[in-house]
This record gives sequence, structure tokens and C-alpha cells, in this order.
Amino acid sequence: MRVVAIVLAVVFFVLGILYGTGTINYFTESGAAHSHHVTHLVVMWVLALLCLIWARFQSAPRR
Amino acid sequence: MTFLQALALALLQGVSELFPISSLGHTILVPALLHWNNIDRSSASFLAFVVVLHLGTALALIVFYRAQWYAIVRALARSIVLGRLSSDRDERTGWLLVVATIPVGLLGVVLEHPVRRLFGSPAPAAFFLLINGLIMFSGEALRRVQQRARARKSKPIDRLSYPESLFIGVAQALALLPGISRSGSSMVAGLLCDLDHEHAARFSFLLATPVIFAAALLELPKLFSPQAHLVLVQAIAGGVAAGLAAYLSVAFLTRYFRSNDLRPFGWYCIIVGSVCFVLARKGVIT
Repeated sequence: MRVVAIVLAVVFFVLGILYGTGTINYFTESGAAHSHHVTHLVVMWVLALLCLIWARFQSAPRR
Repeated sequence: MTFLQALALALLQGVSELFPISSLGHTILVPALLHWNNIDRSSASFLAFVVVLHLGTALALIVFYRAQWYAIVRALARSIVLGRLSSDRDERTGWLLVVATIPVGLLGVVLEHPVRRLFGSPAPAAFFLLINGLIMFSGEALRRVQQRARARKSKPIDRLSYPESLFIGVAQALALLPGISRSGSSMVAGLLCDLDHEHAARFSFLLATPVIFAAALLELPKLFSPQAHLVLVQAIAGGVAAGLAAYLSVAFLTRYFRSNDLRPFGWYCIIVGSVCFVLARKGVIT
């Protein structure tokens, strides 16, 4: 599960960058009309962070 | 937008954001009812004004629940550093809030603008306000049936399961529809998960805080648009008024829900929603 969490974190991080640079426009209000989708970038990075926290919970030593 | 209009909208936002009567629905219906045609809801200056109102509301919620938020954030940080879940109540509440925030975060980003484009006019807002009232009545009725059938007692927030928390989060996302109340739908979901009214309201207000605050922060760049300075005074006064109204509302509602239920708000939504829907269909409000 730890590997899955890390892979997902990387995927969300990259998706965030792609949204930020305007390379992808899925689920955006303005589509290609805007070159940056900051809201989507932030949400993707928050999801990446949550996945990293999930990975952290998988890797910590059990009591 | 005049100063008085700004103040009235700020008070309306502060109160209706936390009362289960839909702030979004009211900010569409009230200006339409009063024929405030001078307000352009899509202008950069109005959007900047709305950002400040949301910031004021979110700050009021943070101040009201400051002790609980401090404990939750500290417990969450400790949990992440240690990399394990403990039986700490604040930590459990924190993770439940994180889980419940995910649906509205995702659905909000994907659906907010299309939904507002489709339903952001008085007739749909009035219709969904009516539905909001019916949701509250059905929620109360279902809860009574559930309690009679299972003879179960209410439980505190930290006894919610993660799927239940996710269910409350999904219910909260219904509020993307203008007229459906965020606090109303999440409270009804909380009641169906065996919370009592007081705990359902507290969980709903705690859940609203990160959502309102994040929405305001994401829109913060609009404050620095060239048109924003046109409404600077209105925005500052509006932010303070919305914050004060929100603080007083949450203080009132936390006391109210110790011994009362959602039905009075349900009646309000059904009556106002029906009247506004008829007026909108007849073209009296547009």
C-alpha cells in the first residue's frame, strides 16, 4: 500500500504541475482560455500531500 | 454597489452561511427580490467583495472554535510525525474532518462553475431552497424512525466511522447547488449517522471552516485586481460585518441545537422557496 500511496502522490503532483502550466484543461471552467489553473494545481497538490501522509502511516513502526 | 447594499449583503452572508438556509441561495434571491440591478455579480470588484466576506466568516468560525482547532491541529501534527493513529479524541476528530473535506474539495473544483452557470438564477435557487426544507424535514423524520427502530443512543463526533464521515462530506457537497444549505445537508447527514443535533451542528461548523477558508484563499488573487480598490471600503466593512454576524450566528446556533431541531428552518425554506419560485416563474423577480 505504501508504494501505491507514493505512486498516487507523484501522479497528483505531476497533474498539479500540468494544470498549473495549462498543459491540461480537464474539468476547468475556462478550458484552454486560461493558461494557468491555479485552483486545480492547489487541489492536486493537496491530494498529493494526503497520499504522502497515507504513505507515512504505512511505513511507521508498529507499537 | 452602495455602502448600505454591501453591509446588507455582508450581514446576510454571515448569518445565512451558518444557519441551514443556504447563503448562496439567499445572495441570489434577496438582491433579485429587492431589484438591486446595479450589482453585477460577475464583476471583478463584486468577486473581490465576496472573497472578503468569506474570509470574515471563516475567521469568525476559527475564533469561535479556537481551542478545539488548536487541539485538533496539534493532535493531527503529532499523528503525522509519529505515523500512526491513536485513540486521542481530537486526533480522531481531525482525521474525520480531513476525510469529510475531500468530497467537497474535489466536487467543488470540478462542478462549482458549471452548476452555478446552470442554476445560478432565482427560479432554480428558489426551487432548491424548497428542496432544502424538505431535506431537513425528511432528515428529522428518518432520524426519529431510526432511533425508534434501533433504540440507539446518540454518539459523540469522535465515534463516527470514516465511511460515515465521508457520507457527511458528500452531503455537504450538495450545497454546490444554490438553495441547498451546506450546514443543513451536513447536519442531516450527521443526524442519520446517529449524532445528536448539538454534535451534528458542531461537526458541520468545524467542517465548514476549512472549506470556506480554502475557498476564500484560492480566490484571494481577485483582491488584487485593479477593480478591487473600487470596493475597498465596502469590502473591509463587509468583512467585519460578515465576521460579526457569523460569530453571533454560530454562538446562537450551538445553544439552539442543544434542545431544538431543524424543523423551524425547514418551514422557513419551504415557505420562502415556494413564494420565490412562484414570483420567479411569474417574472416578478429575475
